[in-house]
Amino acid sequence: MTPGTGTDRAESSVRPDHGPRRARRRGELSAGRLAFLLNVPTLAGLVLVLAYPICFAGYLSFHEVSIRHLRAGEFPFAGLANFSRLFQDEVFWLSLRHTVVFVVASVVLELVIGLAIALTISDERVWLSRITRVLILIPWAVPPVVNGLLWSFIVNAQYGYLNRALHKLGLITDYINWLGHPRLATAAVIVAYVWRTTPFNILLYHAAIQGIPAQIYEAAAVDGASSWQSLWRLTLPLLRPVIAVTLILRTTFSFMVFDEILAITQGGPGNDTWVAAWYTYRMAFQPPFNIGLGAASAWVLAVIVGLVAIAYVKLVYRRVEYA
Amino acid sequence: MSTSSTAPTSLDRRRFVQGAAAAAAGGALWPRAIAAQGAPWAQRPPGNPQKLTFVVWQYGKIYEQISKQFEDDWGIKLNQIIEPNVEPQVAKLTTMFGAGDEVDVSLSPIQYLASYIQQGIAVPIDGLPGVDQYVKDFTPFARAAAQRDGKTWGLPYFSTAWIFIYNDELLGKAGFKGKPFRSYPELVEQARKAKKDGVAKYPILWIAGAGFEQLPGTWFNLTWNRGGVIFDKQLAPQLGAGSVARETLKWWQSTFKEELADPNSLNLRFIPACKAFNAGQHVFLGTLHHYYISLINDQAQSPIAGKGRVLGLPGDGKTIGYTMLYILTSATKNKEWAWKLQQYLGGRTKNGEYTQAQRLAQDAMLASGYQSVMESELLRKAWAKWADVPTVLDVFKKATNFADVVPAVAQPWYPRWSDAINVELTACLQGKISADLACDNMIAALATAKRG
Repeated sequence: MTPGTGTDRAESSVRPDHGPRRARRRGELSAGRLAFLLNVPTLAGLVLVLAYPICFAGYLSFHEVSIRHLRAGEFPFAGLANFSRLFQDEVFWLSLRHTVVFVVASVVLELVIGLAIALTISDERVWLSRITRVLILIPWAVPPVVNGLLWSFIVNAQYGYLNRALHKLGLITDYINWLGHPRLATAAVIVAYVWRTTPFNILLYHAAIQGIPAQIYEAAAVDGASSWQSLWRLTLPLLRPVIAVTLILRTTFSFMVFDEILAITQGGPGNDTWVAAWYTYRMAFQPPFNIGLGAASAWVLAVIVGLVAIAYVKLVYRRVEYA
Repeated sequence: MSTSSTAPTSLDRRRFVQGAAAAAAGGALWPRAIAAQGAPWAQRPPGNPQKLTFVVWQYGKIYEQISKQFEDDWGIKLNQIIEPNVEPQVAKLTTMFGAGDEVDVSLSPIQYLASYIQQGIAVPIDGLPGVDQYVKDFTPFARAAAQRDGKTWGLPYFSTAWIFIYNDELLGKAGFKGKPFRSYPELVEQARKAKKDGVAKYPILWIAGAGFEQLPGTWFNLTWNRGGVIFDKQLAPQLGAGSVARETLKWWQSTFKEELADPNSLNLRFIPACKAFNAGQHVFLGTLHHYYISLINDQAQSPIAGKGRVLGLPGDGKTIGYTMLYILTSATKNKEWAWKLQQYLGGRTKNGEYTQAQRLAQDAMLASGYQSVMESELLRKAWAKWADVPTVLDVFKKATNFADVVPAVAQPWYPRWSDAINVELTACLQGKISADLACDNMIAALATAKRG
């Protein structure tokens, strides 16, 4: 086997499917139409619970909306005033910068740690791997705000478990004020978030690894590939679609991080951990209750997330078949 | 969303007759209750709502207790919406209000009342039965907080005043037994001595964690004590060059620069600061609400229990106090019953007692917004197990209402400015920026805050 062969061969193996044409000739539903019809209830649900609020938020972003207006149901048209104010607000740009740092750090960590753990627990030779697979999902089951509270106890400077453990181990002499320094506070939130969300990646990677035919590895072994070569030349290329999916999902979710911020730092110290979702919440649901501005902020965030998702699909996602 | 009906039913009439008979019988047994019968708090409002809703933040089990009493007294179910802290409570109240839900009574921190009035959430309670009697009994803080524009906007939840606390044992080890500081130079002198003698690595623990009452509250308090204000009556900021506020900030920053103050202070709000102080590694803790001495001297929780002492602010002892309110919301569908509920939370219960206020004083050392409760023997007796009561009451005598030091607190834009000044104060105390720059930035932040 030559480098990259697996992926290249897989891409070239995608063949045109003439099934739908034949099905139409027989008066049957094509696979595409059937898929669409089966998805109609889901689409209807999504329109109700997602599309309507999103569109309504878009509508609000072009209006002057306070709590009073919301209750009365009357919103004076504001044109682009909310967006104009948003883009002039230094705190918004600061929040965006913090968000980008958070997203990049958390997604990279989730990817690397998730892959490493998935590869480890996929190896049947690793004893207790089955139990580990179950245990590893526990953080994913923890509600985000509970996770935030849990970590706020861990990193508390005065009575946190982390300082206590480090002190007992003799690694520190004075307790570290984890939430008092911008970088440490950001790191604390990232660690808390990654701890909760990495199991999601592990789950997907593990499932994908299990789906790779063993024969491919056997063939590689016959060709003399080492374990390292198998990983780089076979496993990772074949995991590319699922990596793309996790990148898209985790990036979009990371952009919306809120609970851990609320529970651990409240945006502090100062506003050093203000992220975009926190900014949106503060503008809309704390005085002066500028819901129009909050909606504009949410929409800008949504557009950014959408663009990032499109870029991922274009750059990372590839169809893979084990032909 | 809850629904309510105001139509009387046979059950209402039966319950009313039963209630009246029971009240009359009770009155025969208890003279005090006879007086209550004629008072508005003992009278049943018209109608029979299925449910009443209040939105508050958690404090012990006070809401479960008072709700049970309300339900037992009046047979009306309460929808208790209890959020873990102030910020989520504000979000809950406003989203419920914006969504058209029914909310009868809510808590309001002083800095949010202006927004609640502006947004049409809070309504005045003037003219409701018994309001005049309550207002007559308000303490000066409570009156100042509850009344603006000639209207009364709520009943007091609790009152507080800012103080210092010191560790008597460590102060003695530093060579100042029974002689806590009486001026700022003395504070620095005692802290330096304690540090030099190895009594404490950082003798002073400040309440300097971001928040409305914490970091800014300490600065406001120090400024006021030194003879300054944050805004004048015309809402012009008093933070310019040479101002007391600016000089106070320079002095405050110097306590960190000289490593007399624990840098962890910047992450400490009230309860975490008390827990840190309870570890017995700091001589002074300031400035914070008077009632936190109850945590420091709590035998069950504090390793330094019995060693905590209350100390009024230096010099003439000028300090700041305030009251929080229970407000009646415009989202109520039955104002009379909502008022009844509001009284259970912030006024008198059916028997004429200030049940909630007395319980808060006894269980948590909270001060009351009512003069009669503040002067009661019950309060003195309850507080004596935590602190020297005359000292604490003397602090209240010297306390000025928050809004006199920071008149802008009554403006809807104040919370946003509070966010901004937290950032500047933190950066200043961390040594990232000078006090001059911090004050200039705070003045500049006013324009942004006012834009909303």
